[in-house]
Amino acid sequence: MSWSWVSGNGSLIWQLTRETAYLGVVPALIGLVISVPLGIAAARWRWFSPPVLTVVTIIYALPSLALFIALIPALGLSDTNVIVALTLFSLCIMVPSVIVGVRSVPEPVRQAATAMGYSELRQLVQVELPLATPVILAGLRVAVVSSISLTSVGQLIGVSSLGYLFIDGLQRSFPTEIYVGLALIIVLALACDLVLVGVRRALTPWADRS
Amino acid sequence: MTKRYPGASVAVDALDLEVPDGKTVVLVGPSGCGKTTTLRMINRLVEPTEGRVLLDGRDVRQSNPAQLRRGIGYVIQQTGLFPHRTVEDNIATVPLLNGWRRAKARARARDLLKLVGLDPALARRYPYQLSGGQQQRVGVARALAADPPVLLMDEPFSAVDPVIRASLQDELLRLQTELRKTVVLVTHDIEEAIKVGDLVALYRPHGRLAQLDTPQRLLGMPVDSYVSDFVGFDRGIRRLSFFRAVGLDLQTQPIVGTDSTVAKALSAARDAGQPWILVTDSDGKPRGWLPAARLAPLADDTPLGNVPSDGFGHTFTVETDSLRAALDAAVLSPAGRAIGVDSTGRVAGLLSYDRLQAAVQAAEAAAQDAEPEPRSMPT
Repeated sequence: MSWSWVSGNGSLIWQLTRETAYLGVVPALIGLVISVPLGIAAARWRWFSPPVLTVVTIIYALPSLALFIALIPALGLSDTNVIVALTLFSLCIMVPSVIVGVRSVPEPVRQAATAMGYSELRQLVQVELPLATPVILAGLRVAVVSSISLTSVGQLIGVSSLGYLFIDGLQRSFPTEIYVGLALIIVLALACDLVLVGVRRALTPWADRS
Repeated sequence: MTKRYPGASVAVDALDLEVPDGKTVVLVGPSGCGKTTTLRMINRLVEPTEGRVLLDGRDVRQSNPAQLRRGIGYVIQQTGLFPHRTVEDNIATVPLLNGWRRAKARARARDLLKLVGLDPALARRYPYQLSGGQQQRVGVARALAADPPVLLMDEPFSAVDPVIRASLQDELLRLQTELRKTVVLVTHDIEEAIKVGDLVALYRPHGRLAQLDTPQRLLGMPVDSYVSDFVGFDRGIRRLSFFRAVGLDLQTQPIVGTDSTVAKALSAARDAGQPWILVTDSDGKPRGWLPAARLAPLADDTPLGNVPSDGFGHTFTVETDSLRAALDAAVLSPAGRAIGVDSTGRVAGLLSYDRLQAAVQAAEAAAQDAEPEPRSMPT
């Protein structure tokens, strides 16, 4: 472990960390935005659920590198390429989370809302989605951590992230770089996870945590 | 009206039911008898296959379902409270749907908390922080928030323990004397139906009405063995709840004060022809029963206060209790006679089985005269 390398390359390490954070968080958030309507539709119309779940499972089975390469003709060796691929992967976690979340709303609550005179849309927005929030956020935590970890594979098509330290460290037989990359990815993932736990607490003060 | 589900038997079969304004009608019957389906057809959670539901003479299908439901209070078994809303916002649900400003709706919610017997300090709590009984009260408050003339209650008290259930039932009765809503309540508990209903609609399986009647007449004149079996073997005794004790012919002997003597007590017992003497304290409240046989060997001038007496069980209050309470007091009394007291607890008189029986027969005859034919339903 060469600490002098670490202190001498602070600005590089910081830049790679920021790129990783960007490439990890943005796809998970886009995935969230896409999953909510998809998941609601699948939870509401039973026939829609199996095809959606089959498609996301197939996507999840794709090796990430293969997907990056497959997107090159359309998107080139760009950030967009990685963001699109990781968004697709995050859907595999987020869509089932939204379905489970919406279905977890207790039947008496749903029935009471209808009987109080909620319109369908208002009931969805004001009752069902808020109650699905804990499950959806649990899915988002997994999606963010897994996409932060997958950013390093994007380095293989030249999209810069902490993955650079793995490849460079391997080529130069310089393990310090590998350790630093690994540690920062873990720290970044934990930090994002912590933020989301805070978000969940702020959004769901009503949840019984006893 | 009728409700059939595809591939299943009939849920509600040619039901014809009129709910009088300001009264509580209880739908009761075995599970799957169609009582809940009936309730849900009123606010269009279920649409009838045939027939119609008229609310104030207007077919409910002419109204937009959401609008219609905001005008009908609804309470369900598992409360159905919104877990993500505070107590006050739960109660304010329908006013907010109707476009009230939040501050006004919350003020209304706090008034309702008081109305249902809850501390307004609970307003900012979430449902998970309340007990089952408190949640159920919030459910009732929420249903009343927009002051709807009609209240539908689907097994509202089934999920709480018997003690809480009894207090919630009392609370409903109290609210009804104040608010006079038109209430339709579904239960599988015949005791609850008899306690809270002005009218009870007893269902047979497969959605047919067996009898629609006052609780008193359901107990007194069941139309057939199905009804009498459902009502229970002790319906005769339970029916006594509807007859008041106030006009009872009470005996005033033998009752003696604790400062009296053995001689006076024995003479009172002899005059009344009774083997048991009731001893009262200086306030005129019951102190205990004394058998004449225990007094006989004692000196005539022995003060009664020096003679140990037997307990007097419990009493009934003449002004407010029913014949059922009087009978119960008689059964539990060592002397076989009930002690009637006034509202301050002073002895008003004694009641023997003979006189109780005469009172029951008189009350039965009066009830028969009031309405001679049971209102039976085609079977």
